[in-house]
Amino acid sequence: MSDENKESAKPPMTDEERAAKIKAAEEARAARAAAKQAEAAAAGGDGEEAPPKQPSPNQPKLDRIVQLITEHVNADAVEESFINERDRDLPYVIIKAEHWVTSAQLLRDEPSLHFNYLRNLSGVDQETHIEVVYHLLSLDHVHEVCVKVKTERDAASVPSVTPVWPTANWNEREVFDLLGVDFPGHPDLRRIMMPDDWVGYPLRKDYEPLDPEV
Amino acid sequence: MKGIVKGLGVTLKSMVEKKITYAYPDVPLEMPDRFRGIQHFDPEKCIVCNQCARICPTDCITLTGKPNPDPEKKGKVIDTYDINFEICILCDLCTEVCPTEAIVMTNNFELSTYSRDELFKNLQWLNDNNTNIRKENNSAMDKGGAK
Amino acid sequence: MIRTEELLLNVGPQHPSTHGVFRIIVKLDGEVITEATPVMGYLHRGTEKLAENLTYTQIIPYTDRMDYVAAMTNNYVICNAVETLMGLEIPERAQYLRLIVMELQRIASHMLWWGTYLLDIGAMSPFLFAFRDREMIINMFNELCGARLTYNYMRIGGVKWDAPDGWIDKVRDYVKYMKEKLNQYHDLVTGNEIFLARIKGIGAYDGKTAIEYGLSGANLRGSGVQWDLRKNQPYCIYDRFEFDVPVGKNGDCFDRYNVRMEEIRQSLRILEQAVEQVPEGETMGKVPRVLRVPEGEAYSRIESPRGEIGCYIVSRGKDKPFRLKFRRPSFVNLQILPKLLVGENMTNLITILGGIDIVVGEVDC
Repeated sequence: MSDENKESAKPPMTDEERAAKIKAAEEARAARAAAKQAEAAAAGGDGEEAPPKQPSPNQPKLDRIVQLITEHVNADAVEESFINERDRDLPYVIIKAEHWVTSAQLLRDEPSLHFNYLRNLSGVDQETHIEVVYHLLSLDHVHEVCVKVKTERDAASVPSVTPVWPTANWNEREVFDLLGVDFPGHPDLRRIMMPDDWVGYPLRKDYEPLDPEV
Repeated sequence: MKGIVKGLGVTLKSMVEKKITYAYPDVPLEMPDRFRGIQHFDPEKCIVCNQCARICPTDCITLTGKPNPDPEKKGKVIDTYDINFEICILCDLCTEVCPTEAIVMTNNFELSTYSRDELFKNLQWLNDNNTNIRKENNSAMDKGGAK
Repeated sequence: MIRTEELLLNVGPQHPSTHGVFRIIVKLDGEVITEATPVMGYLHRGTEKLAENLTYTQIIPYTDRMDYVAAMTNNYVICNAVETLMGLEIPERAQYLRLIVMELQRIASHMLWWGTYLLDIGAMSPFLFAFRDREMIINMFNELCGARLTYNYMRIGGVKWDAPDGWIDKVRDYVKYMKEKLNQYHDLVTGNEIFLARIKGIGAYDGKTAIEYGLSGANLRGSGVQWDLRKNQPYCIYDRFEFDVPVGKNGDCFDRYNVRMEEIRQSLRILEQAVEQVPEGETMGKVPRVLRVPEGEAYSRIESPRGEIGCYIVSRGKDKPFRLKFRRPSFVNLQILPKLLVGENMTNLITILGGIDIVVGEVDC
């Protein structure tokens, strides 16, 4: 700060500096590209060897959940299932809305699963459709699963799981309030954060604020 | 009864302890060096890179530059620089990204006024706010900070 | 027999004991509550919507303002979520600094709760004791990152500031000091007969109900459920430290009180071990200059002083999140309130509400 040399030397050096900066940026980019390549190569190398080793420690759990749901609920209740490697190998199951409540009951009551704790419920507007995401946890077995239920953007509706997990009550109200998803079966579905007479659903991607200044 | 007496004992013991209150408005508070107070702005150092305005989470910084009056030199110099302290949250991100330390934090924190309009501070005011300037500005972060 | 008329009473939005702008509409039969409807949203700032237009670094100061008495844990949860998604490595020293500030924050938050809770139920002086000792933590934070409440201390990939000279020693001294003071707190309040009469057996629920309602933190442990994310699903570097998870038995306000007081002691224990192990080194990991989080999603959860705080990020590969959702423990914990209040005396409303330990900034987000 008190370095006068630096201060006075600054403006004329801009050109040089810029050149240096551009060079540095280029170098960095090259380095990054190289690193990425190396990474890709390493991943590729791993990929060739990995499948016989073990794809993910949670894969059997996921398979078991999917198997139970298809057996006890409906053969085509599960739309999709995968492991999210980015999030500590969390198993993901996408369930069809019409089979969701019975699947939820199964997930909670089946002794080997026993997902008795609904830790998070969120809604996501994916622009093409809306997803309601449930993060479930079993306090006894200490295992987790993420369940997603998809619904259309117009007349979005997902059956309520408040009777299964009472936690869902306010969370569903919040999703209804901010994303406009209807939850048939909910005991008291009304706005929770916004005023009762609010128009629109703020967390939708096409929502236009009344007054951008506020 | 025993519990109440025990509690009273603690109270009585504390009566003879040293005072811990500050005489704040009468005696000014000394803040540690890293304290994030009202910014000081040095137009000489500013290179009009706009990074502070871009990083600001509340969009409270507005600035304009003009071509350098010295025809020998390239680049821009700062023309106006305003911070709206109605919405500034003193989060320290502008001083973190500033590559030349043109904007730095000071330890001054008293901003209360009778009118909201007075919270809109311009270049001159920020330049004059040059007491208690923070000595250390970015210890752990790279120059330019995270974006 | 005297028949009383039903009375509709509005507690809040501006009520000193609701710790923020929060309103409960209660139906009273005499002095007994027959129905309670919480109304919230007065402090709703739309953090989740705002975050969609902010870069990850810019979101961190916003998280300070959710749970403003425990901002460090909020900083951590968003950083942790982004780091998980990007697969970043955090330097050891930064990990230790994060852990130390989070545990100090837990102590500060519990102390604030202790002081205000006793203020709520009519004891004035504990508040002054609690604030005397909490002030020391706040001053330490002020020295560390330049703010007393809204720290904005953590960054994606590390922490902004290294600890100043002698700061770690200050923490060490504080742990010693606070251990002694904690005993003083117990002498002052815990045995007090008036206090016990106010909170023993009030607002009780069992562990099964607590799990059903998704409670977390002391509200869950108070009813005997052994569940602490620091222990059961360790994050940061908690698995390296020895500490116990206190649990209650009856699930009443007194058990929740005891759990929180004991948690202060356990946090001091963690700190005691942590300050001896802090390694030298970098405090900022290798982070790209422009943070582009790869496409994908992650849910990160940690144990905040109020319970499980979570952050669910959906990224589309941009430098801004596509969707950011916070699981706020105060919001979820508050759900049990209407159930607990029915059949209770009006005077117990504040005892029960205070016992849940909410921060309205977090309820409304």
